[in-house]
Amino acid sequence: MDIGTQAEIVLREAGYDTWAWTGASPPVICFENAGLVGFLHVFDTADDLLRQWEEAQQRVLARHTASLRAAGAKAWNVYSVFLTSQAAPDLQPQVERLEENFSLTRKIASTGVGTADDLVSALMPLLPIRAQPLLHDADVVERLRSRAKDLPASALLAFLNIPNVQDVAEILGSSS
Amino acid sequence: MKLGYVELCGFRGFRDKVRVNFGPGFTVLTGRNGVGKSTICDAIEYAILGDISKYPIESAGRETVKDYIWWRGKRPPKSHYVILSFVDETGKEFTITRSREGGVDKTDGEIEAALCGSGAPDDPLRQICRTSLIRDEWISGLSLDLTETQRFDFVRAALGSVVGSELATKAKSVVGAAESACETAEKTYDLTRSRLADVLAELSKANDVAARNPNVASAIAVVDAAVPSDAGDLARRIDIARQDLPSRHRRLEGMSAAVFEGRELEAYRASMNSLEAVKEREQAKAKLGEAQTARDTAQAEVDKANQAYEVVAKANEVAASLSSLITHGQALGLYEGHYCPLCAAERTDIEFAEGLAAARKRMTDLGAEVNAAAETLNLAKAGLSQAEGAVSAAAATWARYEGQERTLRLREERHIETFERYQIKPAYASDPDELERQALVERDELVELERALNALEASRAVDAVASTEARANALRRDLDVAADELARAQKAVDFAKSLERNVRRSATELVDERLALISPLLNELYQRLRPHADWRSIEYSVRGDVRKFLSLRVGDNLNPQFVFSSGQRRAAGLAFLLSVYLARPWARWQSLILDDPVQHIDDFRALHLVEVLSSLRQAGRQVVIAVEDEALADLLCRRLLSTDEQIGRRYVIDYGEQGAADVASKQDVAPMATGVLRRFDGIQAVS
Repeated sequence: MDIGTQAEIVLREAGYDTWAWTGASPPVICFENAGLVGFLHVFDTADDLLRQWEEAQQRVLARHTASLRAAGAKAWNVYSVFLTSQAAPDLQPQVERLEENFSLTRKIASTGVGTADDLVSALMPLLPIRAQPLLHDADVVERLRSRAKDLPASALLAFLNIPNVQDVAEILGSSS
Repeated sequence: MKLGYVELCGFRGFRDKVRVNFGPGFTVLTGRNGVGKSTICDAIEYAILGDISKYPIESAGRETVKDYIWWRGKRPPKSHYVILSFVDETGKEFTITRSREGGVDKTDGEIEAALCGSGAPDDPLRQICRTSLIRDEWISGLSLDLTETQRFDFVRAALGSVVGSELATKAKSVVGAAESACETAEKTYDLTRSRLADVLAELSKANDVAARNPNVASAIAVVDAAVPSDAGDLARRIDIARQDLPSRHRRLEGMSAAVFEGRELEAYRASMNSLEAVKEREQAKAKLGEAQTARDTAQAEVDKANQAYEVVAKANEVAASLSSLITHGQALGLYEGHYCPLCAAERTDIEFAEGLAAARKRMTDLGAEVNAAAETLNLAKAGLSQAEGAVSAAAATWARYEGQERTLRLREERHIETFERYQIKPAYASDPDELERQALVERDELVELERALNALEASRAVDAVASTEARANALRRDLDVAADELARAQKAVDFAKSLERNVRRSATELVDERLALISPLLNELYQRLRPHADWRSIEYSVRGDVRKFLSLRVGDNLNPQFVFSSGQRRAAGLAFLLSVYLARPWARWQSLILDDPVQHIDDFRALHLVEVLSSLRQAGRQVVIAVEDEALADLLCRRLLSTDEQIGRRYVIDYGEQGAADVASKQDVAPMATGVLRRFDGIQAVS
């Protein structure tokens, strides 16, 4: 999976404007929406990520200094995303700890980004909430009709249509 | 539906009128501890519900929370009220005013209609407040620290009612009604059984007493023989037998008469069928025939004599006239001596005398002929009279015999009618002796039956047996009815329980399905808020049938309630409460209000919360959040989306000069610049 391309797809679907800045190799994916801006860096290995993230961040921020100076309060909302497809469980804690470094940018860092789902998980703080439970009206009566097969139809009918419970109980006794 | 504004005066720590115009996008309330940030949230809840639910203890001493709703400080306020305004998507405003003096200006129904849509749960206003307003005090208390059952109930209630969920209550009521009816039927059945057992014991004793009296015992046997036992109890059978006695008597009388008549008929028939009688009848019939023939002959002779007589009599009438002429002519003599006075012919006296003599002779001859004819006629008539007398005598004799035969037939017919009337076997009609034997048997039985009845009726023991038997039979009938009723009631209970099970199962399935739908949302929010560094996802499961449990598990089936720190529990609790808040399909009011949600949460996790709130803002939700930390307030104002249409606002709450809470400052958060990165993209050199 080409993380950069896939990231642009995901971010654009989330309403971001994205483009690639080719001043680095691989290119840095720049993104912006009404509330924030960010740069997504892709590394070959987790080790590269740990060694090069700061330099990469510095380079792209320097490149966009003018823009950020003109951004006003938005300049506080800069994200740096550091990703690698290499699965490196040993280094993952170190990589994740980068996120607790608040200097200059809010950082998102992850290893083992091999699938689109991995990418979406990694970019989750930037994305709208995905899970949208669709709680349609559920009708107990309809479900009851399909469940209460052991009851005589007349009993079920009485239960559903007669308001007085004593009358219903009486009819249940007469049902067969 | 979003919050428009809240205006309060004389409410808790706000003495003077304060109005907070909520930003349609978001509102950040900040200020030191105790300045009244939470009071703004309280005012929202109070306007909707009429109380404040954040205090776990509602009363202390003689005071309750209600005693602290309104300003209690020095210098009384001008008024005591809260006004809460909502604005819907079309800009239409809905306000609720609650004042100390005037109460509320809207009914709960009106408020529900404005804030809640279809499928709202029970007590919808409390539910909407509970799920829209996330207070610091309750973050853990309403999530991880709930028991699993309470947690299930909390989520189920928040998700809203399932259509037709009232059926569960109804089914339960039906079970209650059926069980109550069954209990009554069971009591009636048991009571009847108990009474029957008592009466049967009594009957057994009475029977023993009756059996010890041989007369009574044999009398009962006689009654048993006369009236079948299936006709009822002994008293009933005695009654039947007594009522039957007259008909038995009549039958016996009929049988006796039939015996007598049978014998009479037998004798009569024998006499009629004897050879002499037959011969006599034949002779009588022959005599009648002969007499009739003789009568016919005599009649013919009379007719002939009569004709002869009539001829002679006619001639004799001429002779009478001739006699008159002779007498007259003799008296006159010849007219003028030579003329006949009768024929005017010229006659001599001799000739005249000879003529008269000849006439007299002629008259004499005619008289003799008449006399002879009359005599002959009289003789013929006498013969006819005699023949008719013989016919009459023969006919009378024959009629007597015919009468005897008619009488026999008539008596036979009446005899058969007697058999039919008394239902006597027709075979006995020709056998009076056998009929008599049968009559004797029946008479004997009747006598014995009457004796038995008299004996039984005279016996008090039998009376006791009869009345006890009657009571026992009545109780048996009652028991049958009670058993039928009990069976019906038990069937009703079975059906009702099955119904309740099915309703519960159906509702449970639907609720479980709905709860299952929010599991991914909870997990996503958990992942976003990242309460724990290692356990990145949370398992959410519903179990139980009668009692339902909603359990949360992290890692290797660990309960986060017991392995998470206070801060982690709050972060996980926020994920839980936010997922509940987002999963309410029935809530028209969609503002999220958080009252100091970041206590005990480190900066990193506070940032995650801000990012989650930012996502909610991106989706158009209105967020109101009260925080103490100015830096966090700054962060919120930067990260929550503010647009021209959905502006964000920041209020600083502080004590005023008079010591009452007040709005110290209000600031609209300007929308961020857009397209900033691209703006200088082309003019900067690569560094």
